[in-house]
Amino acid sequence: MNGAQDAILLRGLSAVYEGESVPAIRDIDMSVASGDFICVVGPNGAGKTTLLEVINGILPHTSGEGTALGLSISENGDRIRKRIGYVIQNFEIDPLSPFLCRNVVMSGRAGMIGLLRFPAKHDWDVVNRALSLVGMESYASRPVGKLSGGEFQKILIARAIAQEPEVYLLDEPFSNLDIKARGDVDRLICELNRGGSTILMVSHDVGSIPLSCTRMILMDRGRIVAEGPRNEMLQTGEISDLLRCRGSEP
Amino acid sequence: MISLPFALLVTATLGSVLAGLSCSIAGVFVVRLNMASIGFCMSHAAFAGAAFGLLVEVDPLPTAMLFATLTAVLLAPVANRAKLNTDVVIGIMFSLMIALAFIFLNLSPGEAASGTALRILWGSIFAVSEYDVLFLSLLSLVMLAFVVLFYKEIIALLFNKKLAQASGINTYVFMLAIVFLTGLAVSFSLKLVGGLLVYALIINPASTAYQFFWDFKKIMIFAPTIGVASCLSGFVFSLETDFPIGASIVIVSALVLAVSIAVSPKRRRRSSASFA
Repeated sequence: MNGAQDAILLRGLSAVYEGESVPAIRDIDMSVASGDFICVVGPNGAGKTTLLEVINGILPHTSGEGTALGLSISENGDRIRKRIGYVIQNFEIDPLSPFLCRNVVMSGRAGMIGLLRFPAKHDWDVVNRALSLVGMESYASRPVGKLSGGEFQKILIARAIAQEPEVYLLDEPFSNLDIKARGDVDRLICELNRGGSTILMVSHDVGSIPLSCTRMILMDRGRIVAEGPRNEMLQTGEISDLLRCRGSEP
Repeated sequence: MISLPFALLVTATLGSVLAGLSCSIAGVFVVRLNMASIGFCMSHAAFAGAAFGLLVEVDPLPTAMLFATLTAVLLAPVANRAKLNTDVVIGIMFSLMIALAFIFLNLSPGEAASGTALRILWGSIFAVSEYDVLFLSLLSLVMLAFVVLFYKEIIALLFNKKLAQASGINTYVFMLAIVFLTGLAVSFSLKLVGGLLVYALIINPASTAYQFFWDFKKIMIFAPTIGVASCLSGFVFSLETDFPIGASIVIVSALVLAVSIAVSPKRRRRSSASFA
């Protein structure tokens, strides 16, 4: 299996959660070229988050093959994860959380800095630049527990940027954001892609697909059911029909 | 007030300081990772170990430590292997240890109510030896080194385990290390604070520090400070009142926590903000 030219290459990939009999994703064939911006859409429970977790090796796949950045995802979990930025689906932040924004952003670099090494000045420069890119440089010393949903989402994106990854996996990056914050995050993601980063984003909201997205993949019940260029996919109405049918259309 | 020989006073004071230091450092991890019941489980494991020591007629303290440490070491792998939440495994282990303790005591006629077993349950100044102080000193050094050397990994893990894993940190190894160090802190503090009460020394000082600070670095500094202060105050309170030292330390640390919750600037700011 040669995945050297592709940022991500999956062939017949399936994953079953412990104790479950039905695969959360099944027979996934997907190739993401370096520099691509691909959106995976589908209703809740389609397997979108599972797909991201399998790609960065957090969840082991049960059959099929996959490579990320030319490395087998089943054998190089830690190595791959250091080169992939992951923005987790917006989780409920503890309002008393005792972490400052700059430390949360630096924690994104913890893996790549390595064990028994302290962050150097260069690392803090990267953290400050990441905060600046998301417009949160003045929040560096603020506790994350005091942030709004939109601000917190930007910090999570800054955390991924600080990792200086080649690929971004974005899980519902627009969830819980107001219109202005959505616009800010949309611009930011497009800028990252223009800068050469590969982006694989999942969403259940067709209205939030950024214009820079080149290709869309529609998932349902763990399978890829359709894919194609963004504009074509949006025109067919297949996505809207499916989301409406499954009750995920906002 | 009880008057103690100078050597015993020094040993007990050092033991109090080091138990407060190591337990409250462990508490910072345990509280943030929502593993508060781990100390509760290990203290009962220690009780079972002490009962086993009585049954086989050996010093119950090493067996108490063995049981508590083994429980600590087994918790993470069992939780990981069984794909169960750590708290579920703790609940299972807790009941298992209590059952074992009752069986061991039942098989040791005449020993069930003996002072040796009961002293392990609520601690004693007189039980702390120079070796205990030495072990606690080494453990405190190891814990401080762990925090300093792996500070960035600890922050990543305590902020969000999945994100820490996603950025290339081996979270399994760090969780194992945290559980193991907590087990050692519980075991080495057993003689002083007692098996039934030591978990309070893990949770109370760390919870107090979390009431005041937004910066994790300050929590890492103040939780051990509060732990040491609680232990020393409890020690003096115990000498003044002739109460058991474990109970005295727990009462002091619980009072400090109660006051800190009442005056916490974090809570005050949030409640005033919510009414604004």
